[in-house]
Amino acid sequence: MSEISFPIKDLTRRKTQTALTILGLTISTAATVFLIIFGSNLGFEITFLARGGRLTSGFSNIFFQFILIVSILNILTGPIITSFLVHLTMSGRMRDIGVMKASGCLSGSIFAYFITELSLLVFFSSLTGIIFGVAAYYFSTIFFNVSGFYISQTLDLGVIMVVCIILIIFSHIFGALPIRKAAKAKPTEAMSPIYKLGTTAALGKKIPSKLGLTFKVAFRNLLRRKSATSQAIICLTVVLTLTTVTIAGGMIANQTTTSYVERAIGRNIVLVGHPTLTDRYVNLLSRFFEDKEMQQIDYLNSEFVISESLVSKLANIQGIHEVDPRLVLENYVREVPGVILDPVEQTEAIVIGDSRSYEALILGVEPENVINDWLIFGRKLEENDQGCTMIGDSLAVNMFDDAFNQSIKVFDESLLPYAIVGVCVDPLNNGKVVYMPLETLYKDLDQHGYNLLFLQIDASENPQVLAQIENEVSEENLNVIELDQILDKHVNFLNNIWSLVMFLPFFSLATAAISLLSYLMLSISGQQHEFGIMRALGAKPRTIMKIVFSQALIIILVSGAIGISVGLLITFGFLIPAPVISQSTLISVSAWLLVILGLLCASSLYPALKAVKKTVVDAISAV
Amino acid sequence: MKEKVIVALALCRQFEIDDVIVEAVKNLDLTVEEGEFISIHGPSGAGKTTLLNLIGALDKPTSGKIVVFNHDLGTYDENFLATFRLAYIGFVFQSYNLISTLTAVENIAFVVELAGWSKERIKQRSETLLKLVGLQHRANHFPAQLSGGERQRVAFARALANDPPLLLADEPTGNLDTETGLEIVSILEKIKEEGKTVIVATHDEKLLKLASRSLFLKDGRLTDR
Repeated sequence: MSEISFPIKDLTRRKTQTALTILGLTISTAATVFLIIFGSNLGFEITFLARGGRLTSGFSNIFFQFILIVSILNILTGPIITSFLVHLTMSGRMRDIGVMKASGCLSGSIFAYFITELSLLVFFSSLTGIIFGVAAYYFSTIFFNVSGFYISQTLDLGVIMVVCIILIIFSHIFGALPIRKAAKAKPTEAMSPIYKLGTTAALGKKIPSKLGLTFKVAFRNLLRRKSATSQAIICLTVVLTLTTVTIAGGMIANQTTTSYVERAIGRNIVLVGHPTLTDRYVNLLSRFFEDKEMQQIDYLNSEFVISESLVSKLANIQGIHEVDPRLVLENYVREVPGVILDPVEQTEAIVIGDSRSYEALILGVEPENVINDWLIFGRKLEENDQGCTMIGDSLAVNMFDDAFNQSIKVFDESLLPYAIVGVCVDPLNNGKVVYMPLETLYKDLDQHGYNLLFLQIDASENPQVLAQIENEVSEENLNVIELDQILDKHVNFLNNIWSLVMFLPFFSLATAAISLLSYLMLSISGQQHEFGIMRALGAKPRTIMKIVFSQALIIILVSGAIGISVGLLITFGFLIPAPVISQSTLISVSAWLLVILGLLCASSLYPALKAVKKTVVDAISAV
Repeated sequence: MKEKVIVALALCRQFEIDDVIVEAVKNLDLTVEEGEFISIHGPSGAGKTTLLNLIGALDKPTSGKIVVFNHDLGTYDENFLATFRLAYIGFVFQSYNLISTLTAVENIAFVVELAGWSKERIKQRSETLLKLVGLQHRANHFPAQLSGGERQRVAFARALANDPPLLLADEPTGNLDTETGLEIVSILEKIKEEGKTVIVATHDEKLLKLASRSLFLKDGRLTDR
């Protein structure tokens, strides 16, 4: 028999423990792999090689931070679970180790034996984790593609390999610690029925004696297994932190990003313009969730001009609140370097930026009539602004070093550059937009007129108002489009992304349940004898179940209090900039977290039932 | 005429160990009257512990009948049997079987807490019993901090806590030295004086002498030696 066949035989003999360890590690690997492929294919890279993509930089940044933090927590969860489950396994193997040592086996050989078992578990779990992670990704892309949003199915094998190598290395490091401790135990210590790798009774403590009988026994039993109890609490705390970040972060990020989009596009907005231009505008808006090839068009073609008289007529229709006429065109814009004080030396000036150029959408607007309400860094354009611009987030991030200390050139190189007064989060043209006062645009282009018209209408009178608008524009061969349909597509896209991300808490929940179950199983096997005595003295099975349940409850409450607090701190502290949190979101987050804690409590019923399954005589005979 | 507290009829208990059927108690008939002090002795593996487990409602017979205080124990579920044990039986084990996470006084109080006594009554009862077994000064010590004799005395106090009409003791002096064994014999004498029904499985001559009736068990059957 080869040397590796002994550990394999040993692992197959202890089916439950082996299965729980493999399951815990598989889930952790699968969740990480899924998240990373999903993130890279949607354009929010966490490889640090590229930033931005389909979404605008502002949106990408939220996803980027979310995926980065959740991935780090996932990668951390794997090794911690490994260490915890290995600790529990070794606790149950101390007597075997004592016998091995008493028979002359060296500590090094024992260590090698159990490390081989660990390696087998880790490699097998990593493999199954990759398979499940990739499968989960494929299913989610199918879901997206069926919903009408194309997501690439390409796999970045390099990233998957890096993630797995990190997980394997950390799992070995963390898992080796309890093995080393167990291998070093003295033979007499290891063979003692009460020594369980740091779980020996600490009988000096008898607090709290004023609690009820079951709670008192449960509490004392947890204290008695101090080392395993604290490991269980650490493990559950990390998992619950991850769960909280995923749930609270996911829900709040969903609401925040949806709010950004709704504010940027606006509700009850009707777009009026030449069909070529309205289609173009819709395509530019849709770049947020689908990339479309577009032909060059001449925005300043006289056919596209909307007459002043039509604007006046439309403004007079009852039920139209705002009229926002614009002159829109596409052009190359160029970064102009700026000069700032050296942040280190403070006395010297340094030049920042370069002369990078991008193709952007230029929108001439009447600042006082603008109907959008973007999330803005800096300030909005104001009525008397001249020579100023407000640019989109992707342009600010990709083309500038520090947009507010630089300026932008839009047309003729001989013209003066425009100052940048604000940066807005705008899904239009993936955030590559430049808003400027119409007067400035007219002056520099030496051309007047509008080519697109945005009307904010009264939602309650929608069909009548739309009919009147269509009636007015019919003679001029103009198109009327309700932007709410496009907005709903944006919102659906964001909801779909976050709905998928919301699957992750179930991975975390399964991991948490596995950790708790493993701990309780070990704890029960150690307490079976005393449970037998209690039953012999007249304790009903229900009393024993209450003791096991109380132990689980104490661990869940302590881990929940720490894990949820840390998770909320991460979420509100730095996960989402300018979060939008409604009362209903807070209620949903609280309800989800309560459900998770409730499910964890419910999962402890299995070991509680197991604790009373044995007959009294068998339980008393248990060592 | 005294009341029959235990009636066993054709009592059998079999165990299956690795496909081999072992008959621990075979076709046993027994009647015990109220206030009797019975000793059961016999070689190792004779079935003494199994018989005590059957009488004490810890185990159920494979066949036959065991009626204790008018309850046919083979017919009840685990919940009822737990209540029955709490109300009628005091059990003392050879290896003490104290709850390691509870102190001496808490071990005694455990039983009456289960019975739902008030705090004040529990305190009084625990103190009385600790005094009876001479361990007032060790009340707040954990089992690991007590000697073997002290542990067994706590076990006796715990068995008497709910004032059960039947006390079962399985080799109560088996793990103790002669001197400590005598302390246990003196406790059993006090219990006998109180008029409780007591059944002791033992090899201890002193305990055998204390018994009003001695039974000899061999290969699961009561015999005349």
